[in-house]
Amino acid sequence: MSQIEIIQNIFQGFGVTATVTILGLIYAIPFALVAGVLQYVLLGLPRTLVTAVIEFWRSSPVIVLLFVFYYSLPAFGIRLSSTTVAAMVLGLNIGGYGSQAVRAALQALPRGQVEAGLALGLKRWTVLGCIELPQAIRSMIPTFINQLIQLIKGTALVSLIALTDMTYRAKELAQIEYNPVGIYSGLLLAYLALCYPVTIFGRRLERRSSFGGRQREL
Amino acid sequence: MSFDLNFALATLQTILSALSTTIWVSIVSSLGAAVLGFLWEILRRTSMPLGWVMQVMIDSIRSTPLLVQIYTLYFVFPYYGVTLPALAVGIIALSVYYSGYLAEIFKAGIDAIDPGQFDAAKALGIGRITTIFLIVAPQMLRNIAAPMGNYFISLLKATPYLAVIAVPEMFGSALDVASDTFRYAEPMLAAGLIFLLLSVSIAQLVKMLEQRLLARGKR
Repeated sequence: MSQIEIIQNIFQGFGVTATVTILGLIYAIPFALVAGVLQYVLLGLPRTLVTAVIEFWRSSPVIVLLFVFYYSLPAFGIRLSSTTVAAMVLGLNIGGYGSQAVRAALQALPRGQVEAGLALGLKRWTVLGCIELPQAIRSMIPTFINQLIQLIKGTALVSLIALTDMTYRAKELAQIEYNPVGIYSGLLLAYLALCYPVTIFGRRLERRSSFGGRQREL
Repeated sequence: MSFDLNFALATLQTILSALSTTIWVSIVSSLGAAVLGFLWEILRRTSMPLGWVMQVMIDSIRSTPLLVQIYTLYFVFPYYGVTLPALAVGIIALSVYYSGYLAEIFKAGIDAIDPGQFDAAKALGIGRITTIFLIVAPQMLRNIAAPMGNYFISLLKATPYLAVIAVPEMFGSALDVASDTFRYAEPMLAAGLIFLLLSVSIAQLVKMLEQRLLARGKR
Protein backbone atom coordinates (compact mmCIF):
# COMPACT_ATOMS: atom_id res chain seq x y z
CA MET A 1 0.00 0.00 0.00
CA SER A 2 1.46 3.34 -0.98
CA GLN A 3 1.77 6.25 1.43
CA ILE A 4 -1.05 8.10 -0.39
CA GLU A 5 -3.39 5.12 0.03
CA ILE A 6 -2.50 4.87 3.71
CA ILE A 7 -3.35 8.53 4.29
CA GLN A 8 -6.57 8.16 2.27
CA ASN A 9 -7.53 5.20 4.42
CA ILE A 10 -6.78 7.11 7.62
CA PHE A 11 -8.84 10.08 6.46
CA GLN A 12 -11.89 7.81 6.18
CA GLY A 13 -12.00 8.25 9.93
CA PHE A 14 -12.02 12.04 9.62
CA GLY A 15 -15.83 12.13 9.80
CA VAL A 16 -15.86 10.56 13.26
CA THR A 17 -12.99 12.74 14.51
CA ALA A 18 -14.82 15.85 13.27
CA THR A 19 -18.19 14.74 14.68
CA VAL A 20 -16.78 14.09 18.14
CA THR A 21 -14.90 17.41 18.06
CA ILE A 22 -17.97 19.42 17.08
CA LEU A 23 -20.30 17.62 19.49
CA GLY A 24 -17.63 18.08 22.15
CA LEU A 25 -17.61 21.84 21.52
CA ILE A 26 -21.39 21.86 22.02
CA TYR A 27 -20.74 20.61 25.55
CA ALA A 28 -17.52 22.54 26.16
CA ILE A 29 -18.41 26.12 25.25
CA PRO A 30 -21.66 26.47 27.27
CA PHE A 31 -20.13 24.60 30.23
CA ALA A 32 -17.03 26.83 30.19
CA LEU A 33 -19.07 30.05 30.02
CA VAL A 34 -21.71 29.10 32.58
CA ALA A 35 -19.32 27.48 35.08
CA GLY A 36 -16.72 30.25 34.71
CA VAL A 37 -19.29 33.04 35.17
CA LEU A 38 -20.92 31.27 38.14
CA GLN A 39 -17.55 30.76 39.80
CA TYR A 40 -16.90 34.48 39.34
CA VAL A 41 -20.28 35.76 40.47
CA LEU A 42 -21.29 33.39 43.27
CA LEU A 43 -20.03 33.43 46.83
CA GLY A 44 -19.92 30.97 49.70
CA LEU A 45 -21.42 27.48 49.44
CA PRO A 46 -22.86 27.77 45.89
CA ARG A 47 -19.41 28.81 44.67
CA THR A 48 -17.81 25.80 46.39
CA LEU A 49 -20.31 23.52 44.66
CA VAL A 50 -19.56 25.02 41.24
CA THR A 51 -15.83 24.71 41.95
CA ALA A 52 -16.30 21.06 42.91
CA VAL A 53 -18.07 20.31 39.61
CA ILE A 54 -15.35 22.11 37.62
CA GLU A 55 -12.57 20.36 39.54
CA PHE A 56 -14.20 16.97 38.97
CA TRP A 57 -14.07 17.44 35.20
CA ARG A 58 -10.69 19.13 35.19
CA SER A 59 -8.73 17.09 37.69
CA SER A 60 -9.52 13.58 36.54
CA PRO A 61 -7.44 12.23 33.65
CA VAL A 62 -9.64 12.39 30.56
CA ILE A 63 -8.84 8.80 29.51
CA VAL A 64 -9.99 7.55 32.92
CA LEU A 65 -13.15 9.68 32.78
CA LEU A 66 -13.92 8.28 29.34
CA PHE A 67 -13.64 4.69 30.54
CA VAL A 68 -15.49 5.40 33.78
CA PHE A 69 -18.48 6.84 31.96
CA TYR A 70 -18.38 4.40 29.07
CA TYR A 71 -18.30 1.32 31.27
CA SER A 72 -19.96 2.46 34.49
CA LEU A 73 -23.09 4.20 33.23
CA PRO A 74 -24.62 0.92 31.93
CA ALA A 75 -24.09 -0.61 35.40
CA PHE A 76 -26.42 2.10 36.73
CA GLY A 77 -28.94 1.49 33.96
CA ILE A 78 -27.97 4.49 31.76
CA ARG A 79 -27.33 3.50 28.16
CA LEU A 80 -25.79 6.11 25.86
CA SER A 81 -24.08 5.71 22.48
CA SER A 82 -20.28 5.75 22.35
CA THR A 83 -20.35 9.02 20.42
CA THR A 84 -22.52 10.71 23.05
CA VAL A 85 -20.36 9.54 25.94
CA ALA A 86 -17.16 10.52 24.13
CA ALA A 87 -18.44 13.98 23.20
CA MET A 88 -19.77 14.59 26.70
CA VAL A 89 -16.63 13.50 28.52
CA LEU A 90 -14.14 15.20 26.19
CA GLY A 91 -16.32 18.31 25.96
CA LEU A 92 -16.88 18.74 29.69
CA ASN A 93 -13.19 18.07 30.43
CA ILE A 94 -12.13 20.80 27.99
CA GLY A 95 -14.99 22.98 29.23
CA GLY A 96 -13.61 22.67 32.76
CA TYR A 97 -10.27 24.06 31.59
CA GLY A 98 -12.08 26.73 29.56
CA SER A 99 -14.09 27.83 32.60
CA GLN A 100 -10.85 28.85 34.33
CA ALA A 101 -9.98 31.06 31.35
CA VAL A 102 -13.42 32.66 31.61
CA ARG A 103 -13.06 33.28 35.35
CA ALA A 104 -9.51 34.60 35.03
CA ALA A 105 -10.49 36.96 32.21
CA LEU A 106 -13.42 38.33 34.24
CA GLN A 107 -11.26 38.77 37.34
CA ALA A 108 -8.61 40.60 35.34
CA LEU A 109 -10.99 43.41 34.39
CA PRO A 110 -10.57 46.63 36.37
CA ARG A 111 -12.97 46.74 39.30
CA GLY A 112 -14.15 50.20 38.20
CA GLN A 113 -16.02 48.71 35.26
CA VAL A 114 -18.49 46.87 37.51
CA GLU A 115 -18.71 49.73 39.99
CA ALA A 116 -19.46 52.25 37.24
CA GLY A 117 -22.16 49.99 35.84
CA LEU A 118 -23.77 49.47 39.24
CA ALA A 119 -23.49 53.18 40.05
CA LEU A 120 -25.41 53.93 36.86
CA GLY A 121 -28.22 51.77 38.22
CA LEU A 122 -27.71 48.77 35.93
CA LYS A 123 -28.62 45.32 37.27
CA ARG A 124 -25.75 42.95 38.18
CA TRP A 125 -26.60 40.60 35.27
CA THR A 126 -26.79 43.51 32.81
CA VAL A 127 -23.37 44.66 33.97
CA LEU A 128 -22.07 41.13 33.48
CA GLY A 129 -23.62 40.58 30.05
CA CYS A 130 -23.19 44.02 28.52
CA ILE A 131 -20.01 45.35 30.17
CA GLU A 132 -17.83 42.59 31.61
CA LEU A 133 -18.26 39.63 29.23
CA PRO A 134 -17.80 41.55 25.97
CA GLN A 135 -14.46 42.89 27.25
CA ALA A 136 -13.36 39.62 28.85
CA ILE A 137 -14.09 37.47 25.80
CA ARG A 138 -11.23 39.03 23.89
CA SER A 139 -8.65 37.80 26.39
CA MET A 140 -10.27 34.35 26.60
CA ILE A 141 -9.95 33.59 22.90
CA PRO A 142 -6.26 32.53 22.79
CA THR A 143 -6.89 30.04 25.62
CA PHE A 144 -10.01 28.77 23.88
CA ILE A 145 -8.01 28.14 20.70
CA ASN A 146 -5.47 26.14 22.71
CA GLN A 147 -8.28 24.14 24.29
CA LEU A 148 -9.72 23.47 20.83
CA ILE A 149 -6.40 21.85 19.88
CA GLN A 150 -6.53 19.79 23.07
CA LEU A 151 -10.04 18.68 22.15
CA ILE A 152 -9.08 17.64 18.61
CA LYS A 153 -6.12 15.71 20.00
CA GLY A 154 -8.28 14.23 22.72
CA THR A 155 -10.59 12.68 20.14
CA ALA A 156 -7.83 10.13 19.41
CA LEU A 157 -8.97 8.48 22.64
CA VAL A 158 -12.33 7.49 21.17
CA SER A 159 -10.51 4.80 19.20
CA LEU A 160 -10.21 2.99 22.55
CA ILE A 161 -14.00 2.76 22.92
CA ALA A 162 -14.35 1.38 19.39
CA LEU A 163 -15.33 4.52 17.50
CA THR A 164 -13.84 4.42 13.99
CA ASP A 165 -11.91 7.69 14.03
CA MET A 166 -8.57 8.34 12.31
CA THR A 167 -6.54 6.58 15.02
CA TYR A 168 -8.83 3.54 14.86
CA ARG A 169 -8.42 3.37 11.06
CA ALA A 170 -4.65 3.48 11.44
CA LYS A 171 -4.70 0.66 13.99
CA GLU A 172 -6.91 -1.34 11.62
CA LEU A 173 -4.41 -0.82 8.82
CA ALA A 174 -1.59 -1.88 11.12
CA GLN A 175 -3.34 -5.21 11.58
CA ILE A 176 -3.65 -5.75 7.82
CA GLU A 177 -0.05 -5.09 6.91
CA TYR A 178 3.25 -4.61 8.71
CA ASN A 179 4.32 -1.09 7.87
CA PRO A 180 4.47 0.80 11.16
CA VAL A 181 6.61 3.62 9.80
CA GLY A 182 4.25 4.39 6.92
CA ILE A 183 1.04 4.01 8.89
CA TYR A 184 1.99 5.92 12.03
CA SER A 185 3.80 8.71 10.22
CA GLY A 186 0.66 8.99 8.08
CA LEU A 187 -1.45 9.24 11.21
CA LEU A 188 0.86 11.87 12.74
CA LEU A 189 0.64 13.83 9.48
CA ALA A 190 -3.16 13.58 9.49
CA TYR A 191 -3.39 15.13 12.97
CA LEU A 192 -0.71 17.65 12.10
CA ALA A 193 -2.77 18.74 9.09
CA LEU A 194 -5.75 19.33 11.39
CA CYS A 195 -4.04 20.96 14.36
CA TYR A 196 -1.01 22.79 12.97
CA PRO A 197 -3.04 25.56 11.29
CA VAL A 198 -4.97 26.05 14.54
CA THR A 199 -1.69 26.21 16.50
CA ILE A 200 -0.31 28.88 14.15
CA PHE A 201 -3.58 30.81 14.28
CA GLY A 202 -3.58 30.66 18.08
CA ARG A 203 0.02 31.88 18.28
CA ARG A 204 -0.78 34.83 16.02
CA LEU A 205 -3.72 35.80 18.21
CA GLU A 206 -1.63 35.47 21.35
CA ARG A 207 1.12 37.60 19.88
CA ARG A 208 -1.38 40.29 18.98
CA SER A 209 -2.89 40.41 22.46
CA SER A 210 0.46 40.60 24.27
CA PHE A 211 2.82 43.37 23.25
CA GLY A 212 5.66 41.78 21.34
CA GLY A 213 9.15 42.19 22.74
CA ARG A 214 12.32 41.26 20.95
CA GLN A 215 13.42 37.70 21.60
CA ARG A 216 16.84 37.41 23.22
CA GLU A 217 19.20 35.12 21.38
CA LEU A 218 21.21 32.74 23.49
CA MET B 1 -25.27 -6.06 35.80
CA SER B 2 -25.48 -4.11 39.03
CA PHE B 3 -22.78 -2.30 40.93
CA ASP B 4 -20.94 -4.40 43.53
CA LEU B 5 -19.42 -2.24 46.27
CA ASN B 6 -17.36 -5.02 47.84
CA PHE B 7 -15.78 -5.87 44.52
CA ALA B 8 -15.01 -2.17 43.99
CA LEU B 9 -13.22 -2.04 47.36
CA ALA B 10 -11.25 -5.17 46.50
CA THR B 11 -10.11 -3.69 43.16
CA LEU B 12 -9.13 -0.51 44.97
CA GLN B 13 -6.34 -2.47 46.67
CA THR B 14 -5.05 -3.99 43.43
CA ILE B 15 -4.99 -0.58 41.79
CA LEU B 16 -3.25 1.10 44.73
CA SER B 17 -0.45 -1.46 44.55
CA ALA B 18 0.50 0.12 41.20
CA LEU B 19 0.56 3.63 42.71
CA SER B 20 4.34 3.61 43.08
CA THR B 21 4.80 2.86 39.36
CA THR B 22 2.53 5.75 38.41
CA ILE B 23 4.46 8.09 40.68
CA TRP B 24 7.99 7.19 39.69
CA VAL B 25 7.09 7.09 36.00
CA SER B 26 5.69 10.60 36.27
CA ILE B 27 8.72 11.88 38.18
CA VAL B 28 11.20 10.44 35.67
CA SER B 29 9.13 11.69 32.74
CA SER B 30 8.84 15.15 34.29
CA LEU B 31 12.61 15.38 34.57
CA GLY B 32 12.99 14.11 31.00
CA ALA B 33 10.43 16.60 29.73
CA ALA B 34 12.12 19.48 31.55
CA VAL B 35 15.57 18.60 30.19
CA LEU B 36 14.31 18.13 26.62
CA GLY B 37 12.10 21.22 26.79
CA PHE B 38 15.00 23.37 28.00
CA LEU B 39 17.20 21.99 25.23
CA TRP B 40 14.55 22.74 22.56
CA GLU B 41 14.11 26.27 23.89
CA ILE B 42 17.85 27.00 23.97
CA LEU B 43 18.23 25.64 20.44
CA ARG B 44 15.19 27.65 19.29
CA ARG B 45 16.98 30.82 20.36
CA THR B 46 20.01 30.15 18.18
CA SER B 47 20.53 31.41 14.66
CA MET B 48 17.86 31.44 11.98
CA PRO B 49 17.67 28.00 10.26
CA LEU B 50 18.05 25.91 13.42
CA GLY B 51 15.75 28.17 15.40
CA TRP B 52 13.10 27.82 12.73
CA VAL B 53 13.44 24.04 12.61
CA MET B 54 13.05 23.88 16.39
CA GLN B 55 9.96 26.08 16.20
CA VAL B 56 8.36 23.69 13.69
CA MET B 57 9.39 20.70 15.81
CA ILE B 58 7.94 22.15 19.02
CA ASP B 59 4.71 23.03 17.23
CA SER B 60 4.52 19.54 15.73
CA ILE B 61 4.97 17.89 19.12
CA ARG B 62 2.15 20.07 20.42
CA SER B 63 -0.10 19.42 17.43
CA THR B 64 -0.28 15.63 17.59
CA PRO B 65 -2.12 13.53 20.18
CA LEU B 66 -0.14 11.85 22.94
CA LEU B 67 -1.90 8.57 22.17
CA VAL B 68 -0.65 8.67 18.57
CA GLN B 69 2.88 9.57 19.71
CA ILE B 70 2.88 6.60 22.08
CA TYR B 71 1.72 4.22 19.35
CA THR B 72 4.26 5.63 16.91
CA LEU B 73 7.22 5.21 19.26
CA TYR B 74 6.01 1.80 20.43
CA PHE B 75 5.60 0.35 16.94
CA VAL B 76 8.29 2.22 15.00
CA PHE B 77 11.28 1.53 17.31
CA PRO B 78 11.12 -2.28 16.81
CA TYR B 79 10.90 -1.76 13.03
CA TYR B 80 14.41 -0.30 13.15
CA GLY B 81 15.58 -3.11 15.42
CA VAL B 82 15.42 -1.12 18.66
CA THR B 83 13.42 -3.15 21.17
CA LEU B 84 12.77 -1.23 24.35
CA PRO B 85 10.52 -2.30 27.22
CA ALA B 86 7.05 -0.70 27.14
CA LEU B 87 7.89 1.24 30.29
CA ALA B 88 10.88 2.93 28.60
CA VAL B 89 8.82 3.77 25.52
CA GLY B 90 6.15 5.23 27.78
CA ILE B 91 8.63 7.42 29.64
CA ILE B 92 10.17 8.62 26.37
CA ALA B 93 6.73 9.40 24.90
CA LEU B 94 5.60 11.36 27.95
CA SER B 95 8.91 13.25 28.06
CA VAL B 96 8.73 14.18 24.39
CA TYR B 97 5.06 15.21 24.49
CA TYR B 98 5.45 17.45 27.53
CA SER B 99 8.80 18.86 26.39
CA GLY B 100 6.87 20.73 23.68
CA TYR B 101 4.70 22.44 26.29
CA LEU B 102 7.56 23.09 28.71
CA ALA B 103 9.59 24.70 25.91
CA GLU B 104 6.80 27.28 25.57
CA ILE B 105 6.77 27.85 29.34
CA PHE B 106 10.57 28.22 29.39
CA LYS B 107 10.30 30.73 26.54
CA ALA B 108 7.94 32.87 28.60
CA GLY B 109 10.24 32.48 31.62
CA ILE B 110 13.32 33.58 29.70
CA ASP B 111 11.49 36.48 28.04
CA ALA B 112 10.55 37.72 31.50
CA ILE B 113 14.19 38.01 32.62
CA ASP B 114 15.48 41.58 32.72
CA PRO B 115 17.42 42.16 29.45
CA GLY B 116 20.15 43.85 31.51
CA GLN B 117 21.12 40.43 32.83
CA PHE B 118 22.18 39.27 29.37
CA ASP B 119 24.07 42.47 28.66
CA ALA B 120 25.80 42.31 32.04
CA ALA B 121 26.84 38.69 31.45
CA LYS B 122 28.26 39.64 28.06
CA ALA B 123 30.04 42.69 29.47
CA LEU B 124 31.64 40.57 32.20
CA GLY B 125 32.89 38.13 29.56
CA ILE B 126 30.89 35.20 30.92
CA GLY B 127 30.65 32.35 28.42
CA ARG B 128 27.46 31.23 26.72
CA ILE B 129 27.07 27.92 28.58
CA THR B 130 27.77 29.53 31.95
CA THR B 131 25.25 32.27 31.15
CA ILE B 132 22.59 29.71 30.28
CA PHE B 133 23.00 27.53 33.34
CA LEU B 134 24.06 29.97 36.06
CA ILE B 135 22.27 33.16 35.04
CA VAL B 136 19.31 32.31 32.81
CA ALA B 137 18.15 28.96 34.24
CA PRO B 138 17.83 29.94 37.94
CA GLN B 139 15.93 33.15 37.21
CA MET B 140 13.75 31.41 34.63
CA LEU B 141 12.83 28.65 37.08
CA ARG B 142 11.65 31.15 39.65
CA ASN B 143 9.52 32.92 37.03
CA ILE B 144 7.79 29.76 35.89
CA ALA B 145 7.51 27.56 38.99
CA ALA B 146 3.70 27.70 38.96
CA PRO B 147 2.94 26.90 35.31
CA MET B 148 5.66 24.25 35.32
CA GLY B 149 4.03 22.62 38.33
CA ASN B 150 0.73 22.58 36.44
CA TYR B 151 2.33 20.72 33.56
CA PHE B 152 3.82 18.18 35.94
CA ILE B 153 0.33 17.55 37.33
CA SER B 154 -0.93 17.27 33.79
CA LEU B 155 1.82 14.75 33.08
CA LEU B 156 0.79 12.70 36.11
CA LYS B 157 -2.73 12.68 34.71
CA ALA B 158 -1.39 11.47 31.36
CA THR B 159 0.26 8.35 32.81
CA PRO B 160 -2.93 6.27 32.30
CA TYR B 161 -2.32 6.62 28.54
CA LEU B 162 0.53 4.17 29.03
CA ALA B 163 -2.05 1.45 29.73
CA VAL B 164 -2.52 1.17 25.94
CA ILE B 165 0.99 -0.26 25.64
CA ALA B 166 0.51 -2.43 28.74
CA VAL B 167 2.64 -0.50 31.23
CA PRO B 168 1.55 -1.76 34.67
CA GLU B 169 0.59 1.61 36.18
CA MET B 170 -2.68 2.20 38.06
CA PHE B 171 -5.06 2.47 35.14
CA GLY B 172 -3.42 -0.49 33.41
CA SER B 173 -3.91 -2.65 36.48
CA ALA B 174 -7.55 -1.52 36.67
CA LEU B 175 -8.00 -2.60 33.05
CA ASP B 176 -6.35 -5.94 33.87
CA VAL B 177 -8.83 -6.55 36.67
CA ALA B 178 -11.66 -5.58 34.35
CA SER B 179 -10.64 -7.91 31.56
CA ASP B 180 -10.01 -10.79 33.98
CA THR B 181 -13.42 -10.53 35.62
CA PHE B 182 -15.49 -9.04 32.78
CA ARG B 183 -16.67 -6.39 35.22
CA TYR B 184 -15.68 -2.94 34.06
CA ALA B 185 -17.78 -0.58 36.17
CA GLU B 186 -16.10 -1.19 39.54
CA PRO B 187 -12.40 -1.09 38.55
CA MET B 188 -12.97 1.93 36.31
CA LEU B 189 -14.79 3.85 39.06
CA ALA B 190 -12.12 2.88 41.59
CA ALA B 191 -9.35 4.07 39.27
CA GLY B 192 -11.22 7.28 38.56
CA LEU B 193 -11.60 7.99 42.26
CA ILE B 194 -7.91 7.38 43.01
CA PHE B 195 -6.73 9.59 40.16
CA LEU B 196 -9.13 12.33 41.21
CA LEU B 197 -7.87 12.26 44.81
CA LEU B 198 -4.24 12.07 43.69
CA SER B 199 -4.37 15.00 41.28
CA VAL B 200 -6.46 17.19 43.60
CA SER B 201 -4.02 16.64 46.48
CA ILE B 202 -0.95 17.24 44.32
CA ALA B 203 -2.57 20.39 42.95
CA GLN B 204 -2.98 21.63 46.52
CA LEU B 205 0.66 20.82 47.23
CA VAL B 206 1.81 22.79 44.17
CA LYS B 207 -0.37 25.71 45.22
CA MET B 208 1.26 25.71 48.67
CA LEU B 209 4.77 25.56 47.21
CA GLU B 210 3.87 28.36 44.83
CA GLN B 211 2.71 30.63 47.64
CA ARG B 212 5.87 29.89 49.58
CA LEU B 213 7.99 30.69 46.59
CA LEU B 214 6.12 33.93 45.96
CA ALA B 215 6.50 34.93 49.60
CA ARG B 216 10.23 34.26 49.41
CA GLY B 217 10.53 36.24 46.15
CA LYS B 218 8.93 39.29 47.76
CA ARG B 219 11.30 39.42 50.68
